[in-house]
Amino acid sequence: MDSTMTINNSDPLLYQQKHDQVNKYSPNLKFLPCNDQVRELQTILRDKNTSRSDFKFYADRLIRLVIEESLNQLPFTESVVMTPTGKTYVGLKYQRGNCGVSIVRSGEVMEQGLRDCCRSIRIGKILIESNAETHEAKVVYAKFPQDIAERKVLLMYPIMSTGNTAKTAVTVLKEHNVLEDNIILSNIFCTPASVKSLLSTFPNLTILTSELHSIAPNHFGQKYFGTD
Amino acid sequence: MAAKIKLIDPPSSASSESDCNDKDNAILNDVDILEDIEGEKSSIASHDNISSSVFSSKLGIKIGTRQKISDVNQCIKKTVSESVLTSQKRTIYTAGRPPWYNTAGQQVEPFVIGICGGTASGKTTVARLIIEELDVPWVTLLSLDSFYKGVRSDKEKELSATNEYNFDHPDAFDFDLLISTLQRLKEGKKVDVPIYNFVTHSRESRTKTMYGANVVIFEGILSFHHSEVLKMLDMKVFVDTDADVRLARRLKRDIIQRGRDLEGVLKQYLKYVKPAFSHYIAPSMAHADIIVPRGGENTVAIQLIVQHINLQLQQRGFALRESLVILNKGQPLPGSLFILPLTPQIKGLHTFIRNKHTTRDEFVFYSQRLMRLVIEYALSLLPFKDVIVETPQSISYKGKRCTVDKICGVSILRAGETMEQAFSDVCKDTRIGKILIQTNRTTGEPELYYLRLPKDIKDYMVILMDATVATGAAAMMAIKVLLDHDVPEDNILIVSLLMAESGVHTIAYAFPQVRIVTTAVDPEINEKFYVLPGIGNFGDRYFGTEPQRKSDF
Repeated sequence: MDSTMTINNSDPLLYQQKHDQVNKYSPNLKFLPCNDQVRELQTILRDKNTSRSDFKFYADRLIRLVIEESLNQLPFTESVVMTPTGKTYVGLKYQRGNCGVSIVRSGEVMEQGLRDCCRSIRIGKILIESNAETHEAKVVYAKFPQDIAERKVLLMYPIMSTGNTAKTAVTVLKEHNVLEDNIILSNIFCTPASVKSLLSTFPNLTILTSELHSIAPNHFGQKYFGTD
Repeated sequence: MAAKIKLIDPPSSASSESDCNDKDNAILNDVDILEDIEGEKSSIASHDNISSSVFSSKLGIKIGTRQKISDVNQCIKKTVSESVLTSQKRTIYTAGRPPWYNTAGQQVEPFVIGICGGTASGKTTVARLIIEELDVPWVTLLSLDSFYKGVRSDKEKELSATNEYNFDHPDAFDFDLLISTLQRLKEGKKVDVPIYNFVTHSRESRTKTMYGANVVIFEGILSFHHSEVLKMLDMKVFVDTDADVRLARRLKRDIIQRGRDLEGVLKQYLKYVKPAFSHYIAPSMAHADIIVPRGGENTVAIQLIVQHINLQLQQRGFALRESLVILNKGQPLPGSLFILPLTPQIKGLHTFIRNKHTTRDEFVFYSQRLMRLVIEYALSLLPFKDVIVETPQSISYKGKRCTVDKICGVSILRAGETMEQAFSDVCKDTRIGKILIQTNRTTGEPELYYLRLPKDIKDYMVILMDATVATGAAAMMAIKVLLDHDVPEDNILIVSLLMAESGVHTIAYAFPQVRIVTTAVDPEINEKFYVLPGIGNFGDRYFGTEPQRKSDF
């Protein structure tokens, strides 16, 4: 669970590999590199005494970090540019053809974070209702970019306890011909059960989270939107 | 060479007045100095292990050349505005404060002039004339009047109302506070000087902040009274004006400006002021280096004083930037350096902002993303403690909380200002200070123009922000300003998007406890002090003020 990243690699590919080694579940489960600052954000969101204004502020900060890290999972190619001093810089360039999909309602809190990083990215939405007794999830509404089948999809859903809702969302995406390898599930808190359930059904799915913990902070959406 | 002079409102908090440059002289001198620097650089570069003493002797020569320019300009009419020189579509300020410390961050003491003389002898006039003639920025005028203890007890109030309180006796002054204030000014530290109200005869609750003097002028009737004070004065001037003239001035001043009546003023004069002059003030003339008869009218004496001070100032001061570049070259990067782990995203962001073809819209957007990440990373370096919190799920949760509750940001203008948004996006309700440092185009040295810092900044953890650090000269100056304001060295984090290796070494060498946070360290600096490969002039690209001609950037 500890995924401290202190080594500064000059090669971004090495960074990804190093990153992949840090969990025992699956190479497809990735973590936001943890530091004291991230731990503090998680603590504030967990604390029942946190005010709603603080909660929203610090949730947005953590979301931004999770989104930035999710974007690290997208494919890129090398790119050499000329700097204003007339020297060359060997950098990299992200490939086009990505999109975001948020699961209503709590997934929508991550949309702004994505928008802040990628100004004109296309964002689809899925509304899933789950039966309070059986925990069975049912798709009520789904609207995606037309060519979603050719795109990499950043699926946004902040809290997972059983994983049923996310599983239904991935199923819907696959029904729209999105490749399982092309889906990155961007998440803030999840339980080991939800990760096992998702990755056993969709082994090629990538999950990125900030914390794996047996108890999920289920008050997240209510506190963020102030509907409790 | 079409240079024109434009006067603007003073951008500076400096208490001094400055001159208005003659355009032709300024341009000619520009060229001369550039040649001087070139010549000197090559001679420095040929030595590998240059000790600081060799440097200072070389720098002494350079300061000498630089000083000549101000000599030339001294005959020119002065104005109260800061002067600004506009040439080749660039605006150049000419009155900032040059470095007052050396490459190791050590202090140069300001030059302290003491002016003594009887009441209404023209001490303040002499001080003002010296400041005008001296023509150097960053002069602080300190008056003994500020250190009146004031009338506090009821008995004293009664005495004062009947003009029976002796304001001319040494006991009326707080010499302990004066000595500590002068000592701190001499160390280049910030001081809070009391404000004395002559109508109520008491100290006001607010104080005046003085900081950053190259020359301190201290004036007062008992300036030479205390031996500790005398020791701190580099030059002692006594203003000797005829007693009748002084009484006439005093009557006018006390009645008109300070709202007293004729009888009371005369009574006080005869009973206290006159005896005090004979007892304490006149004998202290023996300590004076120079005695100025007739006060402010004596232009010859003032010219002589100014010439002497100028000579003294030429032997002080440092030229830093050239020596910073070659300092510590090729050594391993210091332990106080923290580089943001390089992720593909960060490299992607760098690719955007380094590319010279990137449009301003994209440059601003992607640099802001990078700023957000580097500020987040800087905050992760603060001290944290383990805590256990209660959750709505009724389990307790082991987490962390930051132990610092007072964080403030300080941006180095102009480019550092661009990082303020990112800072306030991640820190709730924080204070932000600003420091304006510009490079003097003639000397290549950084100069301090303006600063506004939160009160009690010494109690804060300070995130010092500048977009890029090349030689580290501006960052060093800003850190020095913070230290002068009593911020502990280990409470400072300098945060930047891009640094050059030499800049990192410079900061770490002078201030080993300051943590240096950046997203990338580039290996080199070019002759115009730009980082290579770098991102060009960050401020110009961000604000859209690039010069039109390509060769000029």
